[in-house]
Amino acid sequence: MAESEKIDYEPISVREALTEMKDVSEIMIDLAYSAALFNSHELAEEVLELEKRVDYLAYIIDMNIMLAARDAEDAKNLTAVTTVAAATNKISDAAADIASIVLNEIGIHPIVRKVFEQVEERLARTIVKPDSILVNKRLDDLELAAKIGVDIIAIRRQQKWLINPSEKERVVEGDVLIVRGAPHGVDELKDVAEGKIKELE
Amino acid sequence: MTEEHFKEIVDKLVRLKDTSELMIDLAYSSLLLNSQSLAEEVEELENYVDNLHTDFELLVLSSGFTPKESKDFLGLIRLGVVTEKIADAAMEIADVVLRGLEPHPVLRLVIEEAEETVTKVAVSETSTLVGKTIREAQLQEETGMWILAIRRGNWWFRPRPDTLIKAGDVLIASGYAEGEADLETLASGENKLTEEDY
Repeated sequence: MAESEKIDYEPISVREALTEMKDVSEIMIDLAYSAALFNSHELAEEVLELEKRVDYLAYIIDMNIMLAARDAEDAKNLTAVTTVAAATNKISDAAADIASIVLNEIGIHPIVRKVFEQVEERLARTIVKPDSILVNKRLDDLELAAKIGVDIIAIRRQQKWLINPSEKERVVEGDVLIVRGAPHGVDELKDVAEGKIKELE
Repeated sequence: MTEEHFKEIVDKLVRLKDTSELMIDLAYSSLLLNSQSLAEEVEELENYVDNLHTDFELLVLSSGFTPKESKDFLGLIRLGVVTEKIADAAMEIADVVLRGLEPHPVLRLVIEEAEETVTKVAVSETSTLVGKTIREAQLQEETGMWILAIRRGNWWFRPRPDTLIKAGDVLIASGYAEGEADLETLASGENKLTEEDY
């Protein structure tokens, strides 16, 4: 069992934290189903990484909301926020449950692939190697969507997550990219990130 | 396991997955619009998912699998449980609205940053949409709205391109606010002016 991260109070914008939580939980669901479809341990592991982030946000949101309530009326109004935060957390837990099915080798019946057969999109994880042409490039300069039909939906930079990263964000060596797109585009991006291909077509 | 049994399991799992995800969209939308009726739709879908989930589990358990295959089928059962859990979470969000807790302004901001508006329209008998498929209706091109779900009697489903629109259908659509009025006009059939009439 991995050691749980210690949580300290941190003043945050509840609005920003909850928006992040909502976005992350939705990405987690997509990633988790993809992990199940491809029996991909690496995608399942990323789901669990994101789960840590959501758990952290859930605690911090709760602390900030408790401090925000000054009277009974405030408490009543803020209950809606804590309820939604808890539900969003539950959605991310559900995604983590799917990841656990994959990681615990319980196995998913081949029947499940049928479920996803209509899905043309794929999700994948790739790590940016030092000799990749992606290093130090801004996302908008790469034009990944236009060139190969791939979107970077999240970046994990050491312990930090960038969800729906800004177009101005620069890729750094060692970044873990979570990408979504057509299968051949996703494969191409993996090769580019690993430095096997030196040019984006 | 017969081919038919196999197909039925797949079909139910697809429905569970799609419905649970639809419920999340609708639940957030009910908060954004502080709409009791959308929250009630989520509640109805929750009942639908509960029944569907039971049917799904019974189907999987009656597949006649061998002890060796049991792990694969356990995975299926657990996937079903996950969709049920997601549906429950959506219901908890909708419950805020059903209980009359005023959605805090922060919630609206959160949803607006991530999503577009959602609307619900009934298709009248005189609407030009009646008898067209979703593809033929070209709602996305015409109004910028796409149909999340159709309710027909007590039956809920997510439309496919070849789904026929019928009078009395209730369409739940998502998209940018500008398209809402256009969609309402099309569905109500009150204004059949075409571009040439202007």
